[in-house]
Amino acid sequence: MRVNDAVLGLALLLLAGTMIWLTTYFPSFPGQDYGPELFPRLLGGGLVLCGLLLVGRGLAARRRGEAWVELAPWWFRGGQALSFLSMPLAVVAYLLFAETLGFIPLAFALLLALFLWFGERPVRAVPVALVATLVVHWFFSGMMRVPLPRGLLNDIL
Amino acid sequence: MDPILTAFGLVFDPSVMLVILGAAVFGMFVGAMPGLTATMATALLVPVTFFMDPVPALGAIVTATAMAIFAGDIPAAMLRMPGTPASAAYADESYLMARKGQLDLNLGVNVVFSALGGIVGVFFLVLCAPSLAEMALNFSSFEYFWLACLGLTCAVFIGTGDPLKGFVSLLLGLAIVCIGIDPAAGVPRFTFDNVDLMSGVNFIAVMIGAFAVSELLRGAVDLHRQGHVIVPQVGNVFRGVGGVMRRYWLNFIRGSLMGTLIGALPGAGADIAAWVSYAMAKRFSRTPEKFGTGHVEGVVEAGASNNSAVAGAWIPALVFGIPGDSITAIVIGVLYMKGMNPGPTVFTENPQFIYAVFIIFILANIIMVPLGWAAIKSMKQVLRIPRTILLPLILLFCIVGAFAMTNSNYGIVLMLIFGVLGWFMEENGVPVAPMILGLVLGEMLEQNFMTSMIKSDGLWLAFFERPIAGALGALTLLIWLLMLGRGALTALRRPAQA
Repeated sequence: MRVNDAVLGLALLLLAGTMIWLTTYFPSFPGQDYGPELFPRLLGGGLVLCGLLLVGRGLAARRRGEAWVELAPWWFRGGQALSFLSMPLAVVAYLLFAETLGFIPLAFALLLALFLWFGERPVRAVPVALVATLVVHWFFSGMMRVPLPRGLLNDIL
Repeated sequence: MDPILTAFGLVFDPSVMLVILGAAVFGMFVGAMPGLTATMATALLVPVTFFMDPVPALGAIVTATAMAIFAGDIPAAMLRMPGTPASAAYADESYLMARKGQLDLNLGVNVVFSALGGIVGVFFLVLCAPSLAEMALNFSSFEYFWLACLGLTCAVFIGTGDPLKGFVSLLLGLAIVCIGIDPAAGVPRFTFDNVDLMSGVNFIAVMIGAFAVSELLRGAVDLHRQGHVIVPQVGNVFRGVGGVMRRYWLNFIRGSLMGTLIGALPGAGADIAAWVSYAMAKRFSRTPEKFGTGHVEGVVEAGASNNSAVAGAWIPALVFGIPGDSITAIVIGVLYMKGMNPGPTVFTENPQFIYAVFIIFILANIIMVPLGWAAIKSMKQVLRIPRTILLPLILLFCIVGAFAMTNSNYGIVLMLIFGVLGWFMEENGVPVAPMILGLVLGEMLEQNFMTSMIKSDGLWLAFFERPIAGALGALTLLIWLLMLGRGALTALRRPAQA
């Protein structure tokens, strides 16, 4: 997804503006001229400068005929676009259901779904998903003591 | 007890050796898989090393990165697909050699000169780091402020084709560090009363997102394009390497020196070292016309260069806490987690760890030869693992790794945000590496800046009063002026062309 530099610059200006505006709420210390707001404000100033330069550059490119937003051709091929989205969607699904379902069932389901979506045969997808889930769980939960959510398997584990 | 002896004891412990061996195999695998980079290998390793002692943790990272940079050469020669960006500079040359029937020679040259180049890099690391550290002991906040500025500037200047977008990336990274408790006054900033944000932005989770998840996003799109790969047969790879050594020893030395130097410059790592060295080999060659036809000369120089850069990058990281490339940026995060704050004091407080790192570096480059040989021989099996299996597996590692960094979903959220952001930035020509360097150096930069401001009572001239600080400051300002001038020149020239 290519965006015209002017759009990027505008986004930066907005971000920098918000940042500088928020620093006005920081507490100041009497007798201390340089407080916690100084550094963010300097950075904000730098971002404003970069944003302005980008807007200028983007407008020039626009005059030469560049689009505001340009999507790569694969966005319009259903399969590839979904493959792209499958990665962040899997993470979101993990975030939503990890507590209730627990790591083992959820990781297995997500791996299996992704394998199958990417065109792997079930004969290979099911065992690989199962073994990978158990190995990762054993390594991180058992060896590294990472508190992976137990969820449904709370009574068994 | 002598710290060097202690270091030997720490390294030659069976469990540490096992970790190093495992990391070596992991590094070889990740490096040899096209699309998986050495930085990604490091980012994925960190959650695993999180619970280890400092020496095995650092050993795992050192070994894995050294191996990954070499292993990237293998698929470059066999399939014209560089396994890591560091091998891209001479992938065509290697592939053409293979087409001419010199695949064995090419792989032999790659493994031997990678190992030798790595050792030269380590030699300079061992030589320069302690004496630089002695000098750095006298540094005050002014020197560190300028050093951080210089490092960040170099990252933008050398590492990117578009300095403006490099600066954007850097400033974003620095701004992200401001989230959390401010280092000078202890005031929460940009936290919106959120407990997770109070602890700041976890840098490893960001790295996993920006370097691994963004790579997965790109990989998922290209998945359907993957064809069947045919891996050629490999014979005796070490035959003829001696002859190449006798003929091109000058290239090897020049490549290793150049690689170490570029590695030590902040922001530029093994991939840029390889490009520069390949260009240099061509420039100074007696037969430049042979380049691009499958000629070994450039492979020798660039192959040595990218591996020496791996060690070179550790020089500023250990001495000043300023990373030489994105891998050492992660290493600095690990050092902080292990309670050995990088900087000159680590040489006096924990010299045994420093020596242990040196020993592991030498060891890694020595075992690179047999392990590299094994990797070349087993390449057929490695490349048979389909990416349809690999991508979801790596995603699962990323999720668990990011979770382990905060022991909560906060790490995963950060990983997701920065994965998508990193992908979007790269799509639009905004490099990710300056942002990461900004993230790593932000706190140190602000702390030294604020300390200096308070010490000098806001007097800017004080930043130039001490001799070293003055020189560093002048140098930084000079580079900024040069960049501005170059930018203005191109801006002036562009309308004339249109």
